[in-house]
Amino acid sequence: MKNELQDYLGRPKRYDNIDGTGEMLMGLMMLGFTLLGYLNAVLPENSMWRHGLAGMLLMPAVLLPVLGSGYWGAKAIKKHITWPRTGYMALGGGGKSRRTTMAALSALAAGIAGISAFGIACLMRFESQHDWISLAWMGNAAIFVAAYAFWIYRMEKDRPWKWLVLLFMVLGILAIAFIAPGDIVGWRWLMLSFIGLTWLGSGGASLYLYIRHTQPPAPEAE
Amino acid sequence: MNEQLRAISELDRVIHEPGRLMIFALLGAVKECDFLYLQHETEMNKGNLSSHLARLEEAGYVEIEKTYRGKVPRTLLRLTDAGRAAFDQYRKGLKAAF
Repeated sequence: MKNELQDYLGRPKRYDNIDGTGEMLMGLMMLGFTLLGYLNAVLPENSMWRHGLAGMLLMPAVLLPVLGSGYWGAKAIKKHITWPRTGYMALGGGGKSRRTTMAALSALAAGIAGISAFGIACLMRFESQHDWISLAWMGNAAIFVAAYAFWIYRMEKDRPWKWLVLLFMVLGILAIAFIAPGDIVGWRWLMLSFIGLTWLGSGGASLYLYIRHTQPPAPEAE
Repeated sequence: MNEQLRAISELDRVIHEPGRLMIFALLGAVKECDFLYLQHETEMNKGNLSSHLARLEEAGYVEIEKTYRGKVPRTLLRLTDAGRAAFDQYRKGLKAAF
């Protein structure tokens, strides 16, 4: 009985991604940050985007359109597709303990990301340390895969095919590692883009299946 | 009386009914939701769900707000403070019982 109760308490969080918007948003965020990192890596040292006001504007100029389209796109999908079909709900009723947990998890994730970024940045100062940089990027990929596996386990109990998406992601990363020329430092943008596109595609597939399997009720339903 | 039996006997009967417990668990995890969402998640028919909600509203545990989305009527539902407190108490009681 306690387990059933726990299951019902967890349903609203799972419902939040019933239309795949959560995954699509994750994918867009990944692609946005990857694009920003790529631009930072390829822009010449004397580029105006590396100095002064333009340099400060680069990040919002890249991230705002990407994250904005994800945020407003997800809202539009919810408003025009999800809510009329299977109902509206707003998360946030869990009280103080849930907020505390979310804040702690966010801080932990930000801490891990910050330490990884700092470590990689330190290693990149020494060109002879490419093996270590590669290892760090492999660790980064492993963190993304593990986080996605945990997310599927917790949030996608009704969609076992998501495990196939995870398998596809792992095989894709390995394929990039073995097929792409050069070391992982050279193809890290390819790997991060692949992860972002996989999330975007998986969310899109969820949305397609959701639309296919649900119909808005008759107007007098409520 | 055995402690566990006492804990079971003290559970709130309004919440303890399986249909209403489902509703409580769903409402307990959200800020608010509409009737359609509850119907989708509980798989109850309209009549059943309405009668459970009426019982919960009568007990002061659920707030029901009739509104419109465009021209379509919408029923918004949320737990009241008393409802949240009763649900917390119920969960503690259930934990003690098991």
